Amino acid sequence: MSEKILEIRHLQKSFGSNLVLKDIDFTVSKGDVTAIIGASGSGKSTLLRCINLLETPSGGEILYHGKNILASGTNQPEYRSHVGMVFQSFNLFNNMTVLENCMIGQVKVLKKKKDEAEKNALKYLERVGMAPYVNARPRQISGGQKQRVAIARALSMEPEVLLFDEPTSALDPEMVGEVLDVMQALARDGMTMLVVTHEMGFARDVSSRVVFMSQGVIREEGTPEEVLGDPQEQETIDFLARFRNT
Amino acid sequence: MGIFRQLISDIAKLLSKYGSAYLHGIGNTLILALSATLIGCLIGFICGILQTIPYQKNDPVLKRFFLKLVRVIIRIYVEVFRGTPMVLQAVFIYYGLPYFTNSAIRFTNVWVSALLVVSINTGAYMAESVRGGIISIDPGQTEGAMAIGMTHFQTMLHVILPQALRNIMPQIGNNYIINVKDTSVMFIISFTEFFAVHRAAVGATYLYFPSATIEMVGYLCMTLLASFLLRWLEKKMDGKSSYELINEDQLVMTAGTYSYPDRKTPFDERPSELPAEGGRR
Repeated sequence: MSEKILEIRHLQKSFGSNLVLKDIDFTVSKGDVTAIIGASGSGKSTLLRCINLLETPSGGEILYHGKNILASGTNQPEYRSHVGMVFQSFNLFNNMTVLENCMIGQVKVLKKKKDEAEKNALKYLERVGMAPYVNARPRQISGGQKQRVAIARALSMEPEVLLFDEPTSALDPEMVGEVLDVMQALARDGMTMLVVTHEMGFARDVSSRVVFMSQGVIREEGTPEEVLGDPQEQETIDFLARFRNT
Repeated sequence: MGIFRQLISDIAKLLSKYGSAYLHGIGNTLILALSATLIGCLIGFICGILQTIPYQKNDPVLKRFFLKLVRVIIRIYVEVFRGTPMVLQAVFIYYGLPYFTNSAIRFTNVWVSALLVVSINTGAYMAESVRGGIISIDPGQTEGAMAIGMTHFQTMLHVILPQALRNIMPQIGNNYIINVKDTSVMFIISFTEFFAVHRAAVGATYLYFPSATIEMVGYLCMTLLASFLLRWLEKKMDGKSSYELINEDQLVMTAGTYSYPDRKTPFDERPSELPAEGGRR
């Protein structure tokens, strides 16, 4: 078993009286590519947002290298700089060019020198095939290109884990492929990834582990062959059947 | 026609006698309006940032109390200075302060008092504009910044405020133009701006409408110039409408260099040679 990066214990999250996450337990180890699947409203995105502290969990613990980051006195921005996030709606900074998007965090958060940050940013932009577009602004490029830049922005912070919150859901069908290709290449290079997705093909072919969530709990968890190929729970079977039909 | 000939000759008479005074008045008006608008913007931005610092239920009590207090103070400031006439504010600050404090606090310099009154007044309006500008920015921008580890202050400074500033530029322009005209009430503390010159000239010559015509044209010129400069500044802030691909392969280069008409709001004027939907892809 390789090194554990994140351990989530008894995580709970409620919005008002609505309990969205009930007692979530799971572990992310180095090199894992975990696909989180489940119906809309099952709490997948909330789980991801809790892990990055964009939502404050109502209970439980999140251990990052054994340290509980929900304890008071944790430097949250510092923690977030180690845990990258890619959003469904890209969230590129509209007032900056592609290159500046990938440099700002390095310069302001990691306190790198400008030329060093630029070199690093170009490396990752090249990796996602967006290097020719360094001077473009977010409003000038397509959705798939924006998402690839967003991935490069997250990578340029050199995070230990990358969280993907439905990265292809806001894209036109013909652009989904280019983003999934980039993610697949990242997985091959050993990046630790946690991916909330509706792309069953990605879950089957790329991920090393699949988590099925329903109504705020983890129903089933295992290798893609186990969960997708031979599901044990009736709910998982129903959910997967709906996907085969469409 | 005779009356217009009379008007023109009266204007010429006024200008030959008081021309430099009018110019001096225009200068004072512009300096006061510009510096007060800039200081007002600064006040507005500070208020806007302070008002939007987020706090959560599980933050320490002291922090929550402090942030709430700040919001209440800003609220009171905005309501009081937005809700009372600037001319009375000037009276209270210039004449009222010495009166109420038994001359312990007094401004001897009209420039300082005028600048103070107009700046504070503009700041009250700008505080609301900036707050509106900040909440108009998609929350995703904040989340994107937080996700790469930026603090609230860094997020505001590098991501939110530059975008908010662009969005409230028309409002800043509004405030500046209002200030150009409304600084005329500063005659009450004997500040010699453009309108005060009119009062002096009329008092000496009884040429009321000729002088008023000079004033009208003068103010219109000042505000038109401001509108023109603001439009230019807004264009500048939007950045280039096209971009260059950086590529070793020159063939790819031409294939990918699109020129996009500025994608601002659909209500902005577009260059006429482009069809309305020409740049959408």
